[in-house]
Amino acid sequence: MGLYMVKRILQSIPLLLAVSFFTFAFIQLSPMDPAEVVLHAQGVPKITDELIAETKTALGMDQPFLVRYSNWLASCLQFDFGSSYITGKPVWSQLGPALFNTIKLTVVSVAAIIAVSIGFGVYCAWRAGKMIDRSLRGLFFFLTSMPSYWLGTLMIWYFSVKLDLLPTSGMDSYRSYILPVALITVSYAGIYFRIIRSSVLSNMNEDYAMYGRACGLPEKKVRARIVRNSLQVAVSVFCMAVPIILGSTVVVENIFAWPGLGTLSVNAILGRDFPVIQAYVLVLAAAFVLFNTASDILNAALNPKLRNDRS
Amino acid sequence: MRRKNAAVLSSIIAVCVLLTACSGGQAERSGSPNNGQELIYATAKDINDMNPHLYPGSMPAQGMVYESLVENTKEGIKPLLAESWDISEDGKVYTFHLRKNVTFHDGEPFNAEAVKLNIEAVQRNAEKHAWIKLSTKIVSCSVIDEDTVELVLSEPYYPALEELSMTRPYVFLSPKDFKNGETKDGVNGYHGTGPYKLAEHQTEQYAVFEANDHYWGGAPAIKKITAKVLPAGETTFLALQKGEVNFVFTDDRGTDSIDIEAMNSLADSGDYQLVRSEPMNTKMIVANSSASSPVKETAVREALWHAVDRETIRKQIFSGTESAAHTLFAPNVNYAKVDLAKRDFDLEKAKTILENAGWQLRDGGEIRMKDGAPLAMKLYYDVNSSSQKSQAEYIQSTAKQIGMQLELIGEESASIANRRSTGDYDLLFNQTWGLAYDPQSTIAAFTSEASYLHTTSGIANAEELYEKIEQVMVSSDDETRKALYKDILTIVHDEAVFIPITNGSVTVVAPKGLKGISFKQTQFELPFEQMAFE
Repeated sequence: MGLYMVKRILQSIPLLLAVSFFTFAFIQLSPMDPAEVVLHAQGVPKITDELIAETKTALGMDQPFLVRYSNWLASCLQFDFGSSYITGKPVWSQLGPALFNTIKLTVVSVAAIIAVSIGFGVYCAWRAGKMIDRSLRGLFFFLTSMPSYWLGTLMIWYFSVKLDLLPTSGMDSYRSYILPVALITVSYAGIYFRIIRSSVLSNMNEDYAMYGRACGLPEKKVRARIVRNSLQVAVSVFCMAVPIILGSTVVVENIFAWPGLGTLSVNAILGRDFPVIQAYVLVLAAAFVLFNTASDILNAALNPKLRNDRS
Repeated sequence: MRRKNAAVLSSIIAVCVLLTACSGGQAERSGSPNNGQELIYATAKDINDMNPHLYPGSMPAQGMVYESLVENTKEGIKPLLAESWDISEDGKVYTFHLRKNVTFHDGEPFNAEAVKLNIEAVQRNAEKHAWIKLSTKIVSCSVIDEDTVELVLSEPYYPALEELSMTRPYVFLSPKDFKNGETKDGVNGYHGTGPYKLAEHQTEQYAVFEANDHYWGGAPAIKKITAKVLPAGETTFLALQKGEVNFVFTDDRGTDSIDIEAMNSLADSGDYQLVRSEPMNTKMIVANSSASSPVKETAVREALWHAVDRETIRKQIFSGTESAAHTLFAPNVNYAKVDLAKRDFDLEKAKTILENAGWQLRDGGEIRMKDGAPLAMKLYYDVNSSSQKSQAEYIQSTAKQIGMQLELIGEESASIANRRSTGDYDLLFNQTWGLAYDPQSTIAAFTSEASYLHTTSGIANAEELYEKIEQVMVSSDDETRKALYKDILTIVHDEAVFIPITNGSVTVVAPKGLKGISFKQTQFELPFEQMAFE
């Protein structure tokens, strides 16, 4: 197991390197002169040739591409992503708090999604084909297909303005979490709930369930085994849900003015704040690789067969 | 089943625990600001770096905290931190007599030494301030006595006082905030002399400004102003409806955070009032006279001018909130009351102009041709501005009727600014800088590569135009200046390089009981210190 873990972690290093390279290279493909972008981003009203030359030297942009890349990579490894073009402050000082805020939102949302999708998934599988199962599936299907910015606005209007129960936006107290978390849960639980449901259903038809029953195991115990086995699928699915939600909070954060990664990245993109965009992409890619590795390792821990197959 | 229930129950408990944990015990802030003497305004952009000698900061916020030596008002230049000033005979030496007993927010005295340190710090970063011509003309700034400062210029420059009155960079920061005697690489604090001081700033969340009770002009009535970062559109509108924010205004990029319909519905609710300033700027299409496309011909630009239906744009796209513009500067702009031939929306006239210039419609063709080249041009608009897109589409449709093809291209504002400075465009949307900057700054920009050099350099009498601009900036006689501005405005009007569309203004949505809402000459600041609740 230890060997597998080491192998799996080592495998992710070249992937991260490739991601970092492409992140850096794509930005260089932008048709605009980065020095000019910096000056525009700082709101300098008039850009002169001298100013461009000065900025280039100051930012080390006069060096060859690969030198710049390796410098950038080396400092990224020390969590130094350079300085924002717009504010001039270190990127990490902006990205760090924003990432923390988004993680808070993501963790609460993923917990809610897990609770809702496992709860309803297992329940619907038990009641498969019955009225309640069909109507729940219909309801989730309906909610998932609603565009989240629209649903979000409706929720703010109803719960905050009309009923005056919750704040419309911001991150002031635990009450600020309720609407964004509900929105993310509604958008994603519909997908994960179906995965759990079908996994439980297929396990119900497995031979071991029949044997268990045939051997006279109490129904409760049979069902407990079925649920435990079905959740194996869920482990990898939920592990991947974390980075997916981390990256897709853009819309939700923008509706609820949540000071997180989504808001930061949108502003960075609109302001062409390249160091922030690069750091954002890199952090998100790292999160994907990290959680993917974690899910593989978790699965391997749960199922020894996987370890042998892969090593 | 019990195990399953237990699992579900424990997950729910876990969520609740997490929710409580995340709240971090913060005290809840009151949702309704209407109870007190507080203004909470919504802004799409964080106030950002408040260093007044650089450009990323929010101008309305900087305007509350920092002050300049003089103020630009409707009646001309008025004293602010300088009580009075003398200008030498040759127009090169300005002596300012400073207001006494003014302190910075950190208690440091505002005196001649502070003025000298600030101006010198700005001058050491002169490249960044090249847009403001004064920065290239200041030779020295010296302390005469505690309350007197002398500013020496290399040559007489008439807009000197106008440029000293701008929101940045010639405003004053406590010398204690300087980093190693400089401000260009960041500062240690944001202490100005203005009516409000920055009390708290949570990046991308909010900034709190508190009234400066020791303000030399008297403590402001509104004790607390909060700038809350909210995405424009629905979120801001709903927050206004609920009262979580109670104030919005046209931001320093000329965009409103809620649309006109939303403003009207707030005003109709009885809780809010709408206040609009007089015209502040001109929204226009800038034509590249030095391009290689048909736009280089005066006749083509003139025909396009006639093909813009300003009335419909004003009524339909701006719901009547803007007025139609027929000249580069509205008549209320200094020196801009000049008689210029009005070019109305007249498609027949546009067609005749094109015919006479040799642009012919072939049988069955929809686009005019001349020497085998089609009458086709590219029009760039800011992809983030919904009104520019609608205007572009509408102008495209009317231009088509005169046999002119416009290709519309939406781009980021930075990329459009880049096109403007490299000359890689036929037509693009732009706006003048506003009353405090017009006409001098906008006209000075005619000669600047980063601004309108490509727009103006292709016209027949470009040399004459540049010469006159050079002269007007150093002329010390008002009558001469009037005559020169008249010539300059006539040349660009005749050449039709700036095709005006509408005059924009600043709009404020404020609580019904708020009195004293007024505007400054600059569209980038609001005089919050004059407002008070009934």
